[in-house]
Amino acid sequence: MPVPATAAPLLSEAEALKFRRMTLIWGITVLLLLPVLAALGYFMRLYQSEAFPSMKPEWFYAVLTLHSLGMVGVWFVGSMAGVSYLLLRYTRPSLRISKLNYWGTLLGVVLLIVCTLGGRFGTGWYFLYPLPLYSQHIWSPATTFTFFVALTILGLCWTIWCLDLLRAIAQRYSLAAALGWNYVAGKQGPEVPPLVLITTVSLIVGVSGFVAAVIVIALFAARALGVNVDPLLMKNLTFFFGHVLVNITMYLGVAMVYEMLPSYAGRPWKTNRVVAIAWDAVLLLILFAYFHHLYMDFAQPTWIQKFGQICSYLLSVPAGVVSIFGTLLLVYGSKMRWTLASTLFFLGIMGWGIGGIAAVIDSTVAVNFRFHNTLWVPAHFHTYYLMGVVLIILGFIDHVGKELSGLAENPWRSKLTVVLLLFGGYGFLSMFYWAGANSVPRRYATYPHEAAQGVLYARVAVGFITVLFFGILLYLWETGRRCLKALASA
Amino acid sequence: MIQMHALYVFLAVAGLLVAIFIYVASSTRHARDIDSHAAYGIRTKFFLVLLGVLVVGLGLTLGKTPYPKENEIPAKVVFVVGKQFSFGLSDSPISNDEEYESSTYSAPVQVPLDSLVEFRVTSFDVNHGFSVYSPDDHLIAQTQAMPGYVNRLRVRFTQPGRYTVLCLELCGMGHHRMRGVFDVK
Repeated sequence: MPVPATAAPLLSEAEALKFRRMTLIWGITVLLLLPVLAALGYFMRLYQSEAFPSMKPEWFYAVLTLHSLGMVGVWFVGSMAGVSYLLLRYTRPSLRISKLNYWGTLLGVVLLIVCTLGGRFGTGWYFLYPLPLYSQHIWSPATTFTFFVALTILGLCWTIWCLDLLRAIAQRYSLAAALGWNYVAGKQGPEVPPLVLITTVSLIVGVSGFVAAVIVIALFAARALGVNVDPLLMKNLTFFFGHVLVNITMYLGVAMVYEMLPSYAGRPWKTNRVVAIAWDAVLLLILFAYFHHLYMDFAQPTWIQKFGQICSYLLSVPAGVVSIFGTLLLVYGSKMRWTLASTLFFLGIMGWGIGGIAAVIDSTVAVNFRFHNTLWVPAHFHTYYLMGVVLIILGFIDHVGKELSGLAENPWRSKLTVVLLLFGGYGFLSMFYWAGANSVPRRYATYPHEAAQGVLYARVAVGFITVLFFGILLYLWETGRRCLKALASA
Repeated sequence: MIQMHALYVFLAVAGLLVAIFIYVASSTRHARDIDSHAAYGIRTKFFLVLLGVLVVGLGLTLGKTPYPKENEIPAKVVFVVGKQFSFGLSDSPISNDEEYESSTYSAPVQVPLDSLVEFRVTSFDVNHGFSVYSPDDHLIAQTQAMPGYVNRLRVRFTQPGRYTVLCLELCGMGHHRMRGVFDVK
């Protein structure tokens, strides 16, 4: 039977107040960046709809780069801020590190804006080696240098943040306990909340991803000094980093649901042997699932490609059997308090599942042969991002805003918000799926005649995005007010 | 077309998941206690079913990878180089910029119908996606064109006509207009 862990000295009321204030600042910043970055996505679908025929395509690729890096970054820091806040119940994360990350992230984002919208840096989020060095005179070497400075700042700050949360957890739990090994072994040990278990798994993986990113940046620097760099190695490192960053953002979101949904359902959700085994399995499988990004690199050994498919398939088991089934079990027949926050948590887990199904299909080598770099890819990752972790983080911000402001929500406006988000969101995604199944390439500013139907899909998508935007604006009006009031009184 | 089959499988499984979520959400109208022992029994069955489906899926698909098999001899070899922003295709190896330029302007390469064709694909600058579109505009095969490596893509064409090659890996501001062509006769 688990026993309570050794109590760490938790925060004083004054410290807790400062932390709440910092969390609100993070939340409001995320809410400010959301419509801006979403508008960039809106612009891209308009561009593909041929709404700006005289605008040069380099603007499309620059906006693509800012939208993708910005969205991944915003939801990563949003999930980190959320998990930090919830971890206060068990540990003492550093407020200084959170502040350092806030200013570091802002600086990094400003530099990225300068590089993309100012310098027209247009390599996509993955700046795949050696593209940044082959600009065709669209962006300058100084812009490339500034881009890597921005990435270095963001990477360093986020690594420090991951390490600080791991430090805070380690002050109360041993590594074995935090990974739930006492549950796995069926031995007596400290009681470990799922939030701590999942955060530990995610951040260990996250640090390994950031190390890969550091190596990538160092190798770019080496290339600038004349050293030969292996493109296949760079591709492996880049996709390992990107895959890990996106996945741990989702896992941190799921950790938040494990922690908060029970208070709405009126039932506990505790770590047990199955939960611990599942998340420990994730820790291993996630390290190798990224191979599915390189299936079309035939130079990669075939056994690695097949191993990548096996790991990608198996990765869906712990997610499906434990987290999605656990959510359904928690809610089934409960006295659920359906608020905007709890509804978004529930729908976020559903979106994670739907995106996961599409991802597993795409992780089949024989299918990826026809889907790789078509619009099927943004279809599935937008599903588990936009309709998954984004909804969860929006739910968290709403939860905190209500908790700290005391302002009640308007049930009808909440329902309308959810309807607009669902209709606009899934409608927008459906155009990606249909287009992907019809061989329309991703990351195309304009479509050649072989993929001319992409224009029609983009035009329909624009209509759905408009609906989605109304949903986002209504959410911002409701939740933003609560967060601002809470911040004013904090 | 395999893409449409994948889409239908996705819609069916995703639809089932949505139905389950709606059912569970509606169950909260009438709160009741749950038998956790029975629920864990359902979870075990779900685990076994999911694992079974995945194992069957692996069994059916792992043998159908597009990678070259050593015991197959291609009837024709086509040499391909990607460079910002065009594909050069040739019957003979392309080893420098001059040969590349020549290959982009020469008549389309011809490959035989119903025979195994091998494309030896590389790049002279950045990563490109060598993606073959059929005459009726379906993506039928692809591999990456990567500097320093030669990826061997083998395809057996069953439909005659002009095939287009599009780049499906972001390679710069001219990415969307990068192309190549060849004929299947």
